[in-house]
Amino acid sequence: MSDLEVRELTRVFASGDTPRRAVDGVSFTASSGLLTGFVGGNGAGKTTTMRMIMGVLAITSGEVLFDGSPVTRHDRREFGYMPEERGLYPKQPVLDQLVYLARLRGIDAPAARREVLEHLDRLGLASRAKDHVEKLSLGNQQRVQIVAAVMGQPKALVLDEPFSGLDPAAVDAMADLLREHTRRGVPVLFSSHQLDLVERLCERLVILGGGRLLANGTPDGLRAQGVTRHRLVLSGDAGFVRGVPGVLAVDVDGSSALVEVHDDAAASRLLAAALDRGTVQEFSPVRPTLAQIYREVTA
Amino acid sequence: MTSAWMLVATREIAVRALNKGFLIGLAVTIAMIGGLVGFSAYMDGRTESFDVAVVAGDDAALTAVESARDGAAASDQNVELDVVRVDDAAAAEAALEDETADAWLSSEATPGATGATGDDAATGWSLSGWREPDGDLAGLLGTTVRDQVMTDRATGAGTTIEALTAGSEIETQRLDGNPVDPQVVFLAGFVLAFLFFTGAVGSGAMIAGSVIEEKQSRLVEIIATAVPLRQLLAGKIIGSSVIALAQNLLLAAVGLVGLSFTDLSAVLPAMTATMVWFVVFFTVGFVAVAALYAVAGSLASRTEDLQYTTTPLMMLLMGVYIVTFSADGVLERVLSYIPPASIVSMPVRVLNGDALWWEPVVSLLVLVVATLGAVLLSERAYRGALMQTGGRVTWRSALATDRGTTLGA
Repeated sequence: MSDLEVRELTRVFASGDTPRRAVDGVSFTASSGLLTGFVGGNGAGKTTTMRMIMGVLAITSGEVLFDGSPVTRHDRREFGYMPEERGLYPKQPVLDQLVYLARLRGIDAPAARREVLEHLDRLGLASRAKDHVEKLSLGNQQRVQIVAAVMGQPKALVLDEPFSGLDPAAVDAMADLLREHTRRGVPVLFSSHQLDLVERLCERLVILGGGRLLANGTPDGLRAQGVTRHRLVLSGDAGFVRGVPGVLAVDVDGSSALVEVHDDAAASRLLAAALDRGTVQEFSPVRPTLAQIYREVTA
Repeated sequence: MTSAWMLVATREIAVRALNKGFLIGLAVTIAMIGGLVGFSAYMDGRTESFDVAVVAGDDAALTAVESARDGAAASDQNVELDVVRVDDAAAAEAALEDETADAWLSSEATPGATGATGDDAATGWSLSGWREPDGDLAGLLGTTVRDQVMTDRATGAGTTIEALTAGSEIETQRLDGNPVDPQVVFLAGFVLAFLFFTGAVGSGAMIAGSVIEEKQSRLVEIIATAVPLRQLLAGKIIGSSVIALAQNLLLAAVGLVGLSFTDLSAVLPAMTATMVWFVVFFTVGFVAVAALYAVAGSLASRTEDLQYTTTPLMMLLMGVYIVTFSADGVLERVLSYIPPASIVSMPVRVLNGDALWWEPVVSLLVLVVATLGAVLLSERAYRGALMQTGGRVTWRSALATDRGTTLGA
């Protein structure tokens, strides 16, 4: 078990006279063996947090722990990292530069070569190994970049937007690859804008907004925290729900209504009122999607 | 395991050595040196021939041209003269116009300039050309005519030309024992300044480009988590220094080999010593230049910013280039101790023969210290600026400790 944990992580940028707190006291854990999705709008502080975890950016205050103790240069050397903006050496062949990057991480040349070729083969890039990176499509460049991050059995993966720009098949291949690493017991932290993807893939979710931690937990746990809505479908007009105490009508459309009920008494009142007016065809809880939760916590 | 800096240096060298632009530039420079040497060898070996017109009956002129011809043939001046006999002045002018003659020597007054020089015009010698007569020819004929006239007059006065001129020769001698012509020194200064400038700016621009390539693509973030930035910088500096050194060695060798084919081969030993000093100075100095260019690369945030961030360095190198190849006297002596001007000025002084044996050594020590300082400063600025994205970074901001990365040491 070697979790990646951040504690009260803060980064202040001294831009001009007004210091800006890009990340403000953020704490969470990317547990070993789990995929942790890192979600937040533009400027939420995701990239800054990841750069601090990797040591690329100096930490203003707080700390990063790996396996319970402060992360060291040697730990980080064995982390796989994919930075925010993509790019490799455009004029160097794919194989050469992946081997170069692997060797910088201390893997010897023959082993590096073997592993790179294996990964390229898996991601369908074996035939492009000798091509210059600039000749590859953006999606393929992205795959090369992910190979750079996962080479050499990393002890943790920190990936900034690894799925952006990938087609659905590539997303699945990438997800399989990441799962392979979580199965080894490695913590994987990745950021994404694609909430449906995060919902589908992640066991853990961290939501950031304005540099602060807004939510942190399992997708189910976060859903449970949210206000559950109910769908009510009647034989007649559903407009009356607006007048029931303790009930908030979110959306009324003819005989169907989406409502938030604040307690059980209100639910009983609503159902009784509905039965007074005719048959109730449906009264069911609607589980919030992650997008809804996200909107709620970032609102 | 191979050290990280060695991996980086190896990659820099391989990428550079395979870069088409670099190879083409090098080939062009070598071709230029070869061309220059070839041209100068050709000029040295070339025999100039002139057709000199003489009007029938102008015996004095005929004698002068013939004796000049014999004199030139006897010496190794590479000048050939041919006499073209014409009937009269009009025919001589016509011969000049249609280029059957290059010049017309006349012991009588210049046809077009009668009276212009006053009373002696009637007996004045003249050399006419359709355009201005060739300088070498004018010099050769002038000397011959003067000797001839003086001989005549000496005979008239009952003495000989030898008796008149005996003991009037000035023999030049040089007390420092240096066989190198000042003109050669000037030329060498020019060449060294040029080599320094093109080598430093060319390789400097490449290291800046390689730094911004990694910064802009964030590759440096991946590399920085794997190896200390200090090692990355060291690898880059060493890699590009090796390239710059190899390039200068190659050019120096081509130049020296070329030189051995020209009339300047006598200065070859002195020139070789100078070249060795230059290569040593350049190698040390280039390390500082490379480090500063690496900072210039890290201060940029996109490739387009490079022209702003490298301008101060470019100005410095340009200044060194202009000042060093034209400097002499006290200024040169001072410059020969001030890096980076000393890279050019001290080797030139060695060639000139006015540097004592310890002077290049002391100057080299100064250069080594300055280089160390520049590298240490650059290393801090490089680490500070490399992770600052979004717009150009200033030196001050790069050196501010709180903004950088924790991955430096």
